[in-house]
Amino acid sequence: MFQDDELLHEFVVESSSHLAQIEGQLLQIEAGGSDIDVDLVNTVFRAIHSVKGAAGFLSLSVINSLAHSLENVLNMVRNLELVPTSPIINSLLRAADQLRALVDDITNSNDVDVSGFIDELEAIANGQVQSEISSNEGDFVVATPSTPPSTVVHELPEAVNEQPETEEAMQGFVESESSEAFAYLDVESLSLTTDETSFEPPISFEAPITTSSETSLPVKKIVNSETTAKSVKPVNSSGNSSSEPKEAKAKATDSIVRVNVALLDRLMNLAGELVLSRNQLLLAVSNGVREGLESIASRVDQVTSELQETIMQTRMQPIGTVFSRFPRVVRDLSAKLNKECNLEIEGNEVEVDKTIVEAMGDPLTHLVRNSVDHGIELPEKRVAAGKNRVGEIRLRAFHQAGKVCIRIEDNGGGMDPQKLKAKALEKGLINHDQAAMMSDNEALRLIFAPGFSTAAQVTDVSGRGVGMDVVRTNIEQLGGTVDIESKLGVGSAVHITLPLTLAIIPSMIVGCAGERYAIPQASIAELVRVPEAELASKIGNVHGAEVLRLRGALLPLVRLDSALGLRAADDIGSRPKSANILVLETGQMRYGLVVDSLFDNEEIVVKPLGKHVKELGYLAGATILGDGYVALIVDVVGMAVQSNLRNIEAAALADAEKHLNKKTEESHRLLLFANHPSEQFAVPMDMVARIERIKAAEVQVVGNQNLLIYRGNSLPLMRIEESMTALPMEEGIENLFVVVFRIEGQEVGLIAPSLRDIRDIEMRMDATTLREPGVLGSTVVDGTTTRLLDMVELVRHKHPNWQQPQVVSESVQPEKMPTILLAEDSDFFRNHVKRTLETEGFHVIGAADGQCAWDQLQTMFEEIDLLITDIEMPRMNGLELAKAVRSNNAMSELPIMALTSLASDDDHARGAQAGIDEYQGKLDPSRLVEAARRMTGAALQRS
Amino acid sequence: MMNRKPSGPQQYTTFYCDKSLLGLDISCVQEINRNQELTRVPLGHPCVRGVMNLRGEVVTMLDLRILMGLPKGPITNRNRNLVLKCEGETFGLWVDGVADILTIDQNQITAPPSNLALGEARLIRGVYQTEQALVMIVDPKEILTASLSGIRIAA
Repeated sequence: MFQDDELLHEFVVESSSHLAQIEGQLLQIEAGGSDIDVDLVNTVFRAIHSVKGAAGFLSLSVINSLAHSLENVLNMVRNLELVPTSPIINSLLRAADQLRALVDDITNSNDVDVSGFIDELEAIANGQVQSEISSNEGDFVVATPSTPPSTVVHELPEAVNEQPETEEAMQGFVESESSEAFAYLDVESLSLTTDETSFEPPISFEAPITTSSETSLPVKKIVNSETTAKSVKPVNSSGNSSSEPKEAKAKATDSIVRVNVALLDRLMNLAGELVLSRNQLLLAVSNGVREGLESIASRVDQVTSELQETIMQTRMQPIGTVFSRFPRVVRDLSAKLNKECNLEIEGNEVEVDKTIVEAMGDPLTHLVRNSVDHGIELPEKRVAAGKNRVGEIRLRAFHQAGKVCIRIEDNGGGMDPQKLKAKALEKGLINHDQAAMMSDNEALRLIFAPGFSTAAQVTDVSGRGVGMDVVRTNIEQLGGTVDIESKLGVGSAVHITLPLTLAIIPSMIVGCAGERYAIPQASIAELVRVPEAELASKIGNVHGAEVLRLRGALLPLVRLDSALGLRAADDIGSRPKSANILVLETGQMRYGLVVDSLFDNEEIVVKPLGKHVKELGYLAGATILGDGYVALIVDVVGMAVQSNLRNIEAAALADAEKHLNKKTEESHRLLLFANHPSEQFAVPMDMVARIERIKAAEVQVVGNQNLLIYRGNSLPLMRIEESMTALPMEEGIENLFVVVFRIEGQEVGLIAPSLRDIRDIEMRMDATTLREPGVLGSTVVDGTTTRLLDMVELVRHKHPNWQQPQVVSESVQPEKMPTILLAEDSDFFRNHVKRTLETEGFHVIGAADGQCAWDQLQTMFEEIDLLITDIEMPRMNGLELAKAVRSNNAMSELPIMALTSLASDDDHARGAQAGIDEYQGKLDPSRLVEAARRMTGAALQRS
Repeated sequence: MMNRKPSGPQQYTTFYCDKSLLGLDISCVQEINRNQELTRVPLGHPCVRGVMNLRGEVVTMLDLRILMGLPKGPITNRNRNLVLKCEGETFGLWVDGVADILTIDQNQITAPPSNLALGEARLIRGVYQTEQALVMIVDPKEILTASLSGIRIAA
């Protein structure tokens, strides 16, 4: 029937671009109401007219007659004979949709029955239907097209069983067609042709660089999703054709870009200049002349950059090509849901890469539909909440910091973080601990979690298998980010950030194990360098996962070499001593990537990878560096997945936070008392044997020793002011307390005029300022400086002769003194315990944490007789250390004592499980020493 | 498969894999080079030697020995890259050395012996007997599908 395929193809491209504009224009006409904008109507009229003319020429009779009917109605509007009410516009829109469907499936168009549409339009033209339609205004689709509904329905995937309402069929139809149509609109936007009716051959060429599917990894999956979307589309509402020819057509128009002639001319000029520069270069090289070479090089450089930029421009398209479909989407959807919405669009002119424009269609549609469906409330509800009946949706695109931002805002109901949490809990996406710790913002982001939006939420409007997680994935694969803000009752806003282009991305080139990798700059939040000296304090280890302490927060770390297996296990030593960390941020994830070295920032051109390596998740493609070396581009999201970062984050990080915070907040039960009311002292409760209440008069003084006669024995008493720099006890106090300790096997009492409290106190000890014999250090309790007493030292200081016998016995066999390895991260306690043990003659080796202790054990295990370890430590905690020791054949018999502050039964049980033999309090030196003796089996028991 | 091939004489590039002589239809060999500068691809399939810069295009290099089920060979100065283009995919094949170009009539290619090792058997389309040696004719499509399916299985 059609002889000239090329001419036919021209017609499809041309008509599609004409028709693509119509929808928006018809909506504008509708908005204008009786105040008819004749110019606008004229534009629509001309577009239809040119389609009609060409269709007649090509003997496309069905298109011709449908266009003719449309033209008739438009002509009446143009001549102010007809006021374009909503029902009329509805009919026009549907007819235009049908027209577009016919054009898209051009070969079968003559077999389609459009008499229903034509009758409807004729009726409008004759002024018959208007009243009939307006009487039914609430109903969205009244006049059923005479296209047999069953034909339409059977091809709609979602409607199979029942005879669905036509409006649903139309709904599906409308959606699919609009997205299809914009593939053509893309093309139109670059067109130079201003005369709508002209049929000059368009200046077009095949997409010059690569087809979109090859540009980079991001596109890979998007292409998939597009094709699936396509396969779902009920394309065949146009009649009895099969879907195949249609798909082929769509692709044909997709791969063509119309380019502004001026732009093409510039490209030609630049190519010419490049040729010129090349000739100069060749000449200079063959003559061996060095002078002028530099200027040629800089010329080549300049021309190449310009060429690159200009070619990129041919790919740039206004985001408006996507936006323009939304007025219709919002209009139809709100009518269907009985809502009233107003869509405001800003920033149509913002230009983005063609690939991005195309790929954003589905995610944006989903978000806009979400706003209408879930965001905006029903008018009654809005009025009840004191809001305007009409909901506002704002769609805004703008440039910001070299990126394109898109915001979708609505002033609807907003989201309730608590409800989201509850739902995520129910779905098992998070556990209770996580839910409790989650901030509202984090809770909102749950909607992006895979598996969150599910059947319960799926309406025929929003649930089209495209959940918010797909939206997020699509955007992230474009190198963009998405975030959400919401306030209950006020509204929600989704914020999308996109790169301008995908083909060229600024990247950081890093080195690791002799290879170079490129990491997209867009995901790099900052660079952190941890010098060797700070490694131990900045980088911690929690359940085998490394974390970086960065300004008070914990950042999970991924080592590039371990994640990719770049270094053999015995080659770990070749790692640089200091750590270079890239803090990477993508959407919800934030982690640090440890590399060997950082090179430079470069604008890299993304090259597609072959099929053999494409599937590797951590790769986003490859690039060729200046020296010809092929560098792989790291996919920041893929790398996180590869390293199971989610698990680390979920399990370890929460835990880590607890652990690491706890470390500084070890608490001890202390007895607080005052000697003079202005000075407060503390002693550890677990050293206190008992507390006696006595009358001041009961204290006897023998020599310079205070004594209390007590149960027939004399109890030596000590006064604070005798032993240290302290204000004396106030006079005239009748009743005293005596705190009784048992030290070195003897009882001793400390006079405490007023007891203040027994409390669990976080130990942030200052071990230097107020240090003197008998004072361990000071801390602040409720704003009062409190000195923590070391009773053992105090007693020794006061009664040096008491411990005499031991010292003698110990010095008898000094070579037999056991060696103790002490793992304790707090300097204060480490020194304290070390001192305590050393005065008892033990040889003590200190280790700053579990990892250090473990390292020590590796080298000098033979010499160690007892391991004493704190429980809460960075890098490797006491339980981990104990487990490590127990699972090592050589060391498994080593006795292990744990030092704790406040150990519960649970802790004891966990400790026992890990292989800890005994628990002792940190501030109870005598028991500590006693236990150490017992456990080392030293033959030095006191006689 | 044989019946799809044209029956007239065709040119074949022959090359070595270990001690065997193999042949490939010359029309799918894009070029032969001895480029050794490779970027290794961590976590890739063992048959992927790495990726290479082929005049601005990033091309995957496969190791023929691994594809044929042999262990990795030593690197000598006879090693070559055969750059193949097949079904739209450009990829390299690292071979142990390149021999002659032979013009072979299709009728002279006989079915492969049934006792070929399983790994090779998939790739071999037929056998051609010269005066000195036996040339195993390899099907480039099979190389592509076999290597890709190997990767899929591994992944």
